[in-house]
Amino acid sequence: MSVATGGGAATVPETVETQRPPKRVTGPLGGWGSRITAFLNRGLVSVVLTLIAVFWLLPTLGLFFSSLRSAQDNTASGWWNALTAPAQLTLDNYQNLLSNEGMVNAFFNTVWITVPATVLVVVLASLAAYAFAWMDFPGRDWLFIVVVGLLVVPVQVALIPVAGLFGDLGIYGTRLSVILFHVAFGLPFAVFLLRNFFAGVPKELLEAARMDGAGEWRIFRSVIMPLGLPAIASLGIFQFLWVWNDMLIALVFADSSAAPLTVALQSQARQFGSNIDVLATGAFLSLVVPLVVFFSFQRYFEQGVLAGSVK
Amino acid sequence: MKRSVGIATATALVLALTACGGDTGTDTPAEDVGDNGSTVDETPADGGESTGATDGSEATEGGTAGGEGAALPDLSGEELEVAAVWTGTEQERFTMVLDSFEEQTGATVQYTSTGDDIAPVLTPRVEGGNPPDVAFLPQPGLLNEFAGRDALKPLTEDVEATIDANYAPVWKDLGTVDGDLYGVWFKAANKSTIWYDVEALDAAGVTPPETWDDLVTASQTVSDSGVTPWSVAGADGWTLTDWFENVYLSQAGPDMYDQLTNHEIPWTDPSVEEALNTLAEIWGADGFVAEGALQTDFPTSVTRVFSSGDAAMVYEGDFVAGVIGGETEAVVGEDANFFPFPAVGEAPAVVGGGDVAVAFTDTEATMALMSYLASPEAAEIWVAEGGFTSPNKSVDTALYPDDISRGIAEGLIAAGDAFRFDMSDQMPSAFGGTPGQGMWQDLTDFLADPSDVQGVMDSLEANASKAYGR
Amino acid sequence: MSQTATQVRPGGGGTPARTRRPPAREGRWLAWLFLAPAGVVLLALVLWPIVYSVWRSLFDRSGRAFIGLGNYQRIFTDADTFTALKNNLIWVLVAPALVTVLGLIFAVLTERVRWGTAFKLIVFMPMAISFLAAGIIFRVVYDQDPDRGVANAVVTGVHDVFSSSAQYPGARPRDADALPPAAAGGYATADTVEPGSTVPLPLVGVEGDALPEDPSAAQAAGEPAADAITGTVWFDFARGGGGAPGEIDDNESALPGVVVQALRDGEVVAEATTDDQGLFVLEGLDPGGYQLALPAGNFAQPFRGVSWLGPDLVTPAIIVAYVWMWAGFAMVLIGAGLAAIPRDALEAARIDGANEWQVFRLITVPLLAPVLTVVLVTMIINVLKIFDLVYIIAPGSSAQAANVIAVQMWSVSFGGAQDFGLGSALGVFLFLLVLPAMLFNIRRFRQEQQ
Repeated sequence: MSVATGGGAATVPETVETQRPPKRVTGPLGGWGSRITAFLNRGLVSVVLTLIAVFWLLPTLGLFFSSLRSAQDNTASGWWNALTAPAQLTLDNYQNLLSNEGMVNAFFNTVWITVPATVLVVVLASLAAYAFAWMDFPGRDWLFIVVVGLLVVPVQVALIPVAGLFGDLGIYGTRLSVILFHVAFGLPFAVFLLRNFFAGVPKELLEAARMDGAGEWRIFRSVIMPLGLPAIASLGIFQFLWVWNDMLIALVFADSSAAPLTVALQSQARQFGSNIDVLATGAFLSLVVPLVVFFSFQRYFEQGVLAGSVK
Repeated sequence: MKRSVGIATATALVLALTACGGDTGTDTPAEDVGDNGSTVDETPADGGESTGATDGSEATEGGTAGGEGAALPDLSGEELEVAAVWTGTEQERFTMVLDSFEEQTGATVQYTSTGDDIAPVLTPRVEGGNPPDVAFLPQPGLLNEFAGRDALKPLTEDVEATIDANYAPVWKDLGTVDGDLYGVWFKAANKSTIWYDVEALDAAGVTPPETWDDLVTASQTVSDSGVTPWSVAGADGWTLTDWFENVYLSQAGPDMYDQLTNHEIPWTDPSVEEALNTLAEIWGADGFVAEGALQTDFPTSVTRVFSSGDAAMVYEGDFVAGVIGGETEAVVGEDANFFPFPAVGEAPAVVGGGDVAVAFTDTEATMALMSYLASPEAAEIWVAEGGFTSPNKSVDTALYPDDISRGIAEGLIAAGDAFRFDMSDQMPSAFGGTPGQGMWQDLTDFLADPSDVQGVMDSLEANASKAYGR
Repeated sequence: MSQTATQVRPGGGGTPARTRRPPAREGRWLAWLFLAPAGVVLLALVLWPIVYSVWRSLFDRSGRAFIGLGNYQRIFTDADTFTALKNNLIWVLVAPALVTVLGLIFAVLTERVRWGTAFKLIVFMPMAISFLAAGIIFRVVYDQDPDRGVANAVVTGVHDVFSSSAQYPGARPRDADALPPAAAGGYATADTVEPGSTVPLPLVGVEGDALPEDPSAAQAAGEPAADAITGTVWFDFARGGGGAPGEIDDNESALPGVVVQALRDGEVVAEATTDDQGLFVLEGLDPGGYQLALPAGNFAQPFRGVSWLGPDLVTPAIIVAYVWMWAGFAMVLIGAGLAAIPRDALEAARIDGANEWQVFRLITVPLLAPVLTVVLVTMIINVLKIFDLVYIIAPGSSAQAANVIAVQMWSVSFGGAQDFGLGSALGVFLFLLVLPAMLFNIRRFRQEQQ
């Protein structure tokens, strides 16, 4: 796997290199014996990993097959029966879901919450990150420490006050309120990630631009932004997935006309036994988009994870 | 506790949340019912005629007869949002009621399902100043709570007149808080009904019991016959509170019932102990309750009797009929039947529930909808679909799709003031209406271990004290 | 991705220590302009709310009466909230460690197979899906009914390999006084019987499925030999009721295949199985008193699996779902750390004859310590705030047993109780719990800046 990480972010190698050199270890094994053991080990490892992989895939497969079986079939027997009786498989649940205005509406709510919340975070954070990285102003380091501190603030501490605030502003229950809250709680990480990346841009490039008489805005737009694209991509994917998958914030702030898929589905989940056709199908649809994003931008995703978490 | 439970079936997905604006309006509501009511075996032949009198065009002209129906104004371009707990089949049927309102007035009504828990959905919206126009509260406790927070709008005199014309006084009182009328009781439930698999009871040679002791004996006989007598929905605490209330009301009497409802006597009272011990005769008896009750939600508890054959009887309100019709192959009246909850003490208990429509806005459109909901024509649409009992005395009972539902409804109407409202519905919702808390949880614990009467009483009392604030 | 993952960044993201000093520019106001949009949002929706929550938590439910730390006191005295605290503790102690250990194992093992990349994708994938979807996925997995839930299907499948199911599960004697439960399981007659007698053994509660397709009518046993005991085992329940208890009535079915034993002083001295007419004959008995027993094997209930989502197991079950989601995260981070370990150090050790386990324990793990710490801390913060999974997976009957702080915060404020005082206190309490992590982050960040 690639260790290349988001710009100047994760510097695992540095961390590791600061370690003491390992003690030399001597052991009795060597020669043929160790080779045979190694071969056996490899076979064993393969078997173990295969089992684990099956274990990891099974739950999702279960959801997938459940979503392809009728409610009656799902009540009567487990999804694995579809493997031996493929006649059970049907797209009816999907058809029903897609002709369910409520669910379709919820799907578009998810889209219309996720896209703006992602774009806004990227834009606001890029601006702030540039200021933190390359502009001089009093209290800069101190302010950035505040941003670092905000990284771990739980949303719970803000739900009640912000609900009141949005109520006063008259936007409570709307998609806008959900978007704004996501932006607020996405910003600390975004600023943090981008500032670290931007700071790693070679100083000479900026100096050259300044020599050419470019202003801060121009440097930001034509030097920093293009160079920062990998980090921005990582951030964008993270923020996208975070917002797309969120339930709590939408549960609190979105009314039913603004509710995203997660909230629409959870309201069915209390009567789990009898709603499995809606739930399995809805849940599967809701995870298709993140999975597509994940597989398409997997490299950036991993970089985001690394950049975000590892020092 | 009353909960109109969401029953999502495959058909439930085909529902239209918002009525199609392109309707010509020439259809009468009754025709709509006939077209869509595929799950109902017989739509009464006279349904079309009886509601035909309140056909849209006539109603909008204001020429409704004698205070029964409401004069509906032209509300073209108006938009309303209605929120309720109904999902699945119930949502589908309620949407038909709204469709008719849309056709008659030109307004657009968006239905919002809040799922099982309406309070957590409404509360923040009320806090945020963006509530739906009309919401159906499944508990009088919620009505009191929202009224106390000044979130509700009193109903106009027009609506009041419609209610006076169509309801027994008890229902108006139940919708009134501190002298202001807020609620229209649209949907009611008779929750003293035990539903059974006709074949299983026949095989055991059991006839519907009339006393609790007979019920216990009958359960034993059914068990001896090789069938587990009871399916209990232990995953839904509200069904357990309903069990308790039926036993307690009949055993301790209405006065004690009211006192316990208001927490004027503690939950450690001997009468509670007696009721719990009585309950344990069924919940705690060897082999009486089908396995896995704690993981069984309400719809599943019904299908376990009428589809899977796991048990012979299931206790819950009249809405069980809707689940049987919507989720199983069993035919109510043939394969499935009910008997009234037997008398535990001297007199049988009649516990009821309901959904009350309240207004969060007071626009003309909102009040027109409230008035419409208080009219028989609105109720009749759903009545004909089944799984619905209306407390509206002007509703033509001939419209109920079968003798069973008609019997339930007539009993409810005839009872007048004689029945008691569901206890847990009248309690602070933190105690009587929240999954995993208060009475729901304590009775769940009791179902898990019916020998621990004292522990359950102590916990009930502690939780009640907390919720009632004393 | 979950909110928490994106929020949790121990350490200051590796700004190179050679951090640049940007040239002082005249336009300081311009910097503020760049900062303003993000600043306003953070101020209004994050910083101010923290202050307000602290303030609000000092008031009661109505918001009018000042009650000091009363709400915080309730966190520890209220039984529901206390359960939530306890569960959160379990979560913090178990889940992060489990995730880290599994992540480490996976990361090390994947280096040894050619399809390691594919494996990583599979394990990492759950991170991309929502807690809600994961919750639904695991509700399906944990379904109580072994015919539906894969977990119980496997468990019962394995169980049934080792023990076969009984022929008449749940059946029991008609008369519990004459045939009470035996100490060794099953039932045994209360009185002793002499050889040469006939003993009827009526049973009830026989499930319809258990009877043979076309059951024979039960028959009374004939006169036994002097050294034998005979009798009938039958289903003493006529279809449609009626019939005298303990008597063999016309339309009552025989129960073939029931094992009957004769006991003397608790020892089995003879054993017989009922035939199609429900008859058994215990032969070769010396004179004396015998107890007749119907061993438990006749009646054992089939194993119906484990109540994964019952009150006892619900928290571990949800933790498994959590581990399923997050092990990939740990694996990727640790994998990156692993890739950065100098190969020559490992090779040198191997050349010196260290086996793989020694290399792992003495070189790999110590070198990975910083990464492991980061994963652990990240997971702890994440787990403190766990909400969706618990909210979705726990069924109503286990909701309280599975409660955690974040769920409790939501229920008391937006659920039934509408208690914004206690809700704020819980929010602040969560905030206080992550405060050490915040200070840890800031310290590390400042160290790196120097």
